[in-house]
Amino acid sequence: MSETLERIVERLAGEATGSEGVEAWAEQVTETTVRAFDGAVESLTSASSEGVGVRVVTGGRLGYAYTADTSEAGLRACLEEARANLDVSSEDAGNVLPAAAPIEPLDGLFDADQVDVGPERKVAFALDLDERTRSIDPRVTKVETAVYGDAVARVAIASSAGVRGAYSITQAYGYAVALGSDNGESQTGFGVDAARGLDGLDPKRIAHEAAERAARMLGAKKPPTRTVPVVFDQETAKSLIGVLVAGLSAEAVQKQRSLFAGKLGERVGAPGLQLIDDGRLLDGFGAAPFDGEGVPTQRRVLIDDGVLQGFMHNTASAAREGTTSTGNASRGSFKSTPGIAPHNLFFAPGGKDQAALIAQAGEGLLVQDVSGVHSGANPVTGDFSVGVSGLWFRNGELAEPVREATVAAHLLDILSGIVEVGSDLRFSAGSIGGTSLLIGEMTVAGT
Amino acid sequence: MLEDATVRKVLTAALATGGEWAEIFAEDRLTHNIRLEDRKVEELVTGRDRGAGVRVVRGTSSAYAYTNRLDEEGLLEAGRIASAALRDQPGAEVRDLTRREPGVIHAVKIDPATVERAVLAEYVRRADDAARSFDGSIAQVVAGYGDIHQKVCIVNSDGFRTDEDRIRTRFVVQVVAIRDGVVQTGFDGPGRARGFELFDEFPPELVAKNAAERAVAMLDSKPAPAGEMPVVVGQGHGGVLFHESSGHGMEADLIAKEASVYSGRQGQKIGVSNFNGVDDATVEGAWGSFQFDDEGTPAQRTVLFENGVCTDYLTDLIRSRQLGQNASGNGRRMSYADLPIPRMTNTYILPGTDDPDEIIAQTPKGLYAKSLGGGQVNPVTGEFVFGVVEGYLIENGRVGQPVRGANLVGDGPGVIAQIDAIGSDFGVKEGICGKEGQGVPVGNGAPTMRIARMTVGGTGGQL
Repeated sequence: MSETLERIVERLAGEATGSEGVEAWAEQVTETTVRAFDGAVESLTSASSEGVGVRVVTGGRLGYAYTADTSEAGLRACLEEARANLDVSSEDAGNVLPAAAPIEPLDGLFDADQVDVGPERKVAFALDLDERTRSIDPRVTKVETAVYGDAVARVAIASSAGVRGAYSITQAYGYAVALGSDNGESQTGFGVDAARGLDGLDPKRIAHEAAERAARMLGAKKPPTRTVPVVFDQETAKSLIGVLVAGLSAEAVQKQRSLFAGKLGERVGAPGLQLIDDGRLLDGFGAAPFDGEGVPTQRRVLIDDGVLQGFMHNTASAAREGTTSTGNASRGSFKSTPGIAPHNLFFAPGGKDQAALIAQAGEGLLVQDVSGVHSGANPVTGDFSVGVSGLWFRNGELAEPVREATVAAHLLDILSGIVEVGSDLRFSAGSIGGTSLLIGEMTVAGT
Repeated sequence: MLEDATVRKVLTAALATGGEWAEIFAEDRLTHNIRLEDRKVEELVTGRDRGAGVRVVRGTSSAYAYTNRLDEEGLLEAGRIASAALRDQPGAEVRDLTRREPGVIHAVKIDPATVERAVLAEYVRRADDAARSFDGSIAQVVAGYGDIHQKVCIVNSDGFRTDEDRIRTRFVVQVVAIRDGVVQTGFDGPGRARGFELFDEFPPELVAKNAAERAVAMLDSKPAPAGEMPVVVGQGHGGVLFHESSGHGMEADLIAKEASVYSGRQGQKIGVSNFNGVDDATVEGAWGSFQFDDEGTPAQRTVLFENGVCTDYLTDLIRSRQLGQNASGNGRRMSYADLPIPRMTNTYILPGTDDPDEIIAQTPKGLYAKSLGGGQVNPVTGEFVFGVVEGYLIENGRVGQPVRGANLVGDGPGVIAQIDAIGSDFGVKEGICGKEGQGVPVGNGAPTMRIARMTVGGTGGQL
């Protein structure tokens, strides 16, 4: 890279003429991924890449273009493309740039030691994770893949409206997919951990989670079709929360594709239920000092005591309603215009652990794996039907494993059916935190 | 894109520490994406991405480094980083490079780059108008068009080079229908490895009508039943089922790790005698087609099932060598930032001889899954699931009450064994398949077919 990201975005922002607004967002990422299999390195990937996205607004119209070519000519061409794209877009009150606001720095996103971790230690981590996972249970003799990954990234933003910001982050993660086999049958188990650096990862925990989950699923059968209490574990509860995200976007409400439309101030969940989005919580990877358009982040309670308190806004959705952004503008990368997404979204944890939830429910299903969420859960209609596997429990204790089942219910019924939120809040990657959840009853379909 | 002299230098540097073979994958891609929602053309985004990855391979281990920079210095640096993973004396040399010629051409009549921006805006507006005029219940329409022009250059130290221009276009319409407080959605999204002539086959009005029809039909739906029952899958949509239930399990990386229910099942009879399935990247202009895969292997047609017998697996270069099988041309990657892995291209169940209408007429009671959404599979257990986006009950051999919220679950070989009727019709659907975080375009195709017994997950109680 010939120039710093800050220089690049500032120069582009300075190109604005007349009433034109210009905003530039730049990223640089250096990543390493190591995959181990059967005691050997399957692959080692390391690389760095960068790119810039340019947003132009004039007279309520928007133009966008991006480029990975950060040469003088590449940047100039990108700005011209964005300007030309503006000509065919429709007028919308949302097409404005946010005004500059003071940004509170957020310490703890960047682990300086992580930058100095060499490839040898990363390779050793993956190999060790592979070996550990294989040495926990005699039926777990193979690991489909054991992975170490990390990223060091820097982002910078500048706009003709005076926004200026930049920050750096480090992330590291490890995961293993254990393979359990017995009598010709195989099952998989997943374990994961994430931190700001390699030293913050706990390989023992990943290995145990993966091996245990694979081993206990051996011998799983299809359960009979019944309506019973269901406990989602920490990981699978995240899928459930993930489906709610789309409907909590103010843009989705404005465009009639939110199941929460018209429900502001109304009861949408069980009494006591609290859903929080916290852009400044360092435990989650969604933490940042400012959002995808330079607006400061904050902590917000979206559902309080079961009542819907508010939606997530970026500058566009806020401008359409004459309100202000909640700092929820998201960038998938420099390739996309700012959308709307939570930073770190989670249910406020309760006082009971998973075992206590199971004891309380008596008989039902503990879900340890969900599949088909992207097709079986519809965030617009609220229909929710997913494939599940896990353990049946009765008399408050775990019993036989079950597979090839589905659970189904309407999302609003699930929310109001949450009897308990577990005490086990954990962020393991991504922007959603998981806790065990006890749902009063759901249809479990099997035979 | 790259000079032969430059790539020789880079590959030589990459092999300096004991790699058996090395490869450069370079690409330059230009994309246009336009999106309409809420009656407005929200955005038109032009994107330019480019970069190259250098891979060094020894046995089943690979080291990979990529860069945004396509100049000699940038590539050499990537080659050095990739080679740093190995610590031996050089063993392999870069052979003389022969340019591979494509065996199939995916002709493009209208280069999307030549289409005026205003025309793109007109097409999404036409779809919006058509969907809204289909029925008064249509409350929201999202229409999007995207094209990609990807220039790919692959050079392998084993002595070959490929250069390919890939152009793909797709048009997508999603609608929301609302009536009496009931909300339903409908979707259609045809795509081709062709140019702007996509619209000759799929005018905006047709795609909009398909999406609107689905949403409106589901407004009268009741919750789907739960439990095991016969399922008839509508024309084209059985391809998604085949993709999830079998295709993934037949990808050779999982086979080599013995992490698939299809490991060791080559030569075994699993399906009925007229069950035939293929993966075919040579279908002219199809969404999942190409001239060469992302490792430079020519596009091929691979038979997965012949007369019910499990035949070949889908391989990339590493897995074909490991398993001692032919390279089937299924090494694909999302971009220069990713390692290639075995992936499907266009996966089809071939037509049988049953009259599609008769298949339904001879089903006394069951579910007609006219349209399926995406799915997911765990290849180790074979367990898969996918959503029914347009479903109806079959009552006395007739399609009746529409039902919503159904999911289908099963296990791969198990569901293939349960297919007991295969129609004489055929249709394809396009999608983006995700694996290890990499999304690639795939086509799925099938005739109307029946699965004798399958678990349906709904909230409407037992059938």
